[in-house]
Amino acid sequence: MDTNKNLYTVVYTAVVVLIVSALLAFVSTALKDKQDANEKADIMGQIMTAAQFGTRAELQGLGNSNVLAKFDEELAESFTVNLAGEKVADLQRDKVYPAKELKAQNYKIKGAGEPELPVFIFKNGKTVVPIYGAGLWGPIWGYIAFEEDLTTIASAYFDHDSETAGLGARIKDDPDFQHEFNGEKADFAGTRIFEIVKGGAPKEADGKTSVIDNKIDAITGATMTCKGLDEAINTWLGAYKAYFGKNASTSSCCGECAQDCGKCTEGCDEAENNCGEE
Amino acid sequence: MEYISLFVKSIFVDNMIFAYFLGMCSYLAVSKNVKTASGLGAAVVFVLLCTLPINYGINKFLANNPFGVDLTFLSFILFIAVIAAFTQLVEMIVEKFAPSLYGSLGIFLPLIAVNCAILGGSLFMQQRDFGNVGEAAVYALGSGIGWFLAIVTLAAIREKLQYSNVSPALKGIGITFITVGLMSIAFMTFMGITI
Amino acid sequence: MNAKLKETLLNPIFKGNPITVLVLGICSALAVTVTMKGALVMMLSVTVVSAVSSLILSILRNTIPSRVRIIVQLVVVSMMVILVDQVLRSFEATYAIDKQLSVYIGLIITNCIVMGRIEAFALGNKPWPSFLDGLANGLGYGLILLTVAFFRELLGSGTLFGVDILGRLGYVPNNLVILPPMALILLGCIVWIQRSIQKDLQEK
Repeated sequence: MDTNKNLYTVVYTAVVVLIVSALLAFVSTALKDKQDANEKADIMGQIMTAAQFGTRAELQGLGNSNVLAKFDEELAESFTVNLAGEKVADLQRDKVYPAKELKAQNYKIKGAGEPELPVFIFKNGKTVVPIYGAGLWGPIWGYIAFEEDLTTIASAYFDHDSETAGLGARIKDDPDFQHEFNGEKADFAGTRIFEIVKGGAPKEADGKTSVIDNKIDAITGATMTCKGLDEAINTWLGAYKAYFGKNASTSSCCGECAQDCGKCTEGCDEAENNCGEE
Repeated sequence: MEYISLFVKSIFVDNMIFAYFLGMCSYLAVSKNVKTASGLGAAVVFVLLCTLPINYGINKFLANNPFGVDLTFLSFILFIAVIAAFTQLVEMIVEKFAPSLYGSLGIFLPLIAVNCAILGGSLFMQQRDFGNVGEAAVYALGSGIGWFLAIVTLAAIREKLQYSNVSPALKGIGITFITVGLMSIAFMTFMGITI
Repeated sequence: MNAKLKETLLNPIFKGNPITVLVLGICSALAVTVTMKGALVMMLSVTVVSAVSSLILSILRNTIPSRVRIIVQLVVVSMMVILVDQVLRSFEATYAIDKQLSVYIGLIITNCIVMGRIEAFALGNKPWPSFLDGLANGLGYGLILLTVAFFRELLGSGTLFGVDILGRLGYVPNNLVILPPMALILLGCIVWIQRSIQKDLQEK
């Protein structure tokens, strides 16, 4: 048979393409549920890691169905807020935001519209919010859990698409880096809410506790990734600022030194927060 | 300004060869002398510049298509189809209307369809999600020129290397690998630069 | 198995290795060799794609119009790659790895090994030998991948398959090994060793 005729060539190509697309469409539809379930469990695992329900590896070891069950069990409520800090809508209990959807919100935060900002509140009192931004090679995102005062960071978890393994990828793989966030305080009143700086976050002399402020140490050799992370945290926490300002439980902070406390001492008796007497 | 920053970044910081090692096969195979290397380099710039904006449109269409189904799984296949079709088209046009150019460039054209740098450009475009088609085109031009620069530099070094006394087992491809490694370390100095 | 088939199967793994001898498929060899796990998954993916695409195209070889040959090849190869990508994403165990390899799974389409073997072998041979050829080339590719990844993960992170090995002995991971240039230099060294042993491969 002459395989070089125009008609034959066109028909042949069309048939091959049709068969291939049909097969792929079938496989893609058949596997879609499983893929979505994997993705959902993966994100729930990230959120729960931030909310301190176990390490990432422990949560991954549970398997998808257990992660879903645990998330449902521990979640108190989840809803979205707007830039003015007003609650917009309740979320379905198993609704989480994949990186793709965070990206869409990220555009809106940066001025392209009114974003829907998800808030996850857990029964252990932690409030978890996402962050999203650009690293060195691709997107980075993560979850930051706050204590009830909505100023103290309980812990954080970050993930990325394609940062350099061993350097930028340590934002995800290195628990020590993530632990640096624990106990830090976001400074919603200042120009920078949170900073990741090189060598600018000295540890106390005994090495056990870090100085409680809004700065942590950047990863050596991962300047661009840390810069991206810094940017992402400031952009997103900036968007949540109004919500946090409205809902922070100020009482927990009264009586402490005002300088440590920052904004959350508003509404407290001033004498209680006088640092000079100590 | 953003365009200039993206342009410079895609040439030096995100260099296709030295940062991602894309398009290595033809990079190593066709870098024996400067003349052929620049021929292939120019072809890569051209094809990248033409296919990336098309693929950008395809990607946008797949993401918000009128059928209401998630078609993004088709993106790989459509990207490569555009690239292959485009390469074949260019080959046919050049052969018909500029036979002399075809003579000097001809053999490199079919090679381009399987050059990872071209498909890689489209996949990175998808992953980084450029805001508009202009950014995609600037990125394509920048990474193409970065690739061009890389292959011409290597070809120049290899021309000189022919006169060096390299250990017989390392001669040819072995020393080329190591040379590219060292060049890549040199290019890493651009990484910390913010533009 | 007769001698010729055995030759088809064994040659690409050592003597005619696609990476060190034919110099094909370098891109991904450098990018995914930071961890053993990534290298292993990449090896399996490439092997499956290469073997099955060779098989399919070898069956179709007499019907393909020569003018659209490359496009048909690319369509079949990309179909296999998408299938592998979708399957990896569907299993709990491999989901995380697929995420990690992201772009490089897509780039198997333009992995010169797959296309190169189809052009050079599958289009001129019967299905069964073509399948073996694709399989063997994938394995030969994987062998180099695993060797490079072994050194990069051990020296760069002090671990193997994520299990801490050198870190316990007080080894401080060397970040340079993790950076891409080191993969090229390691590959150069592998070529050096191989060609010192097999003198007939040396270039003049």
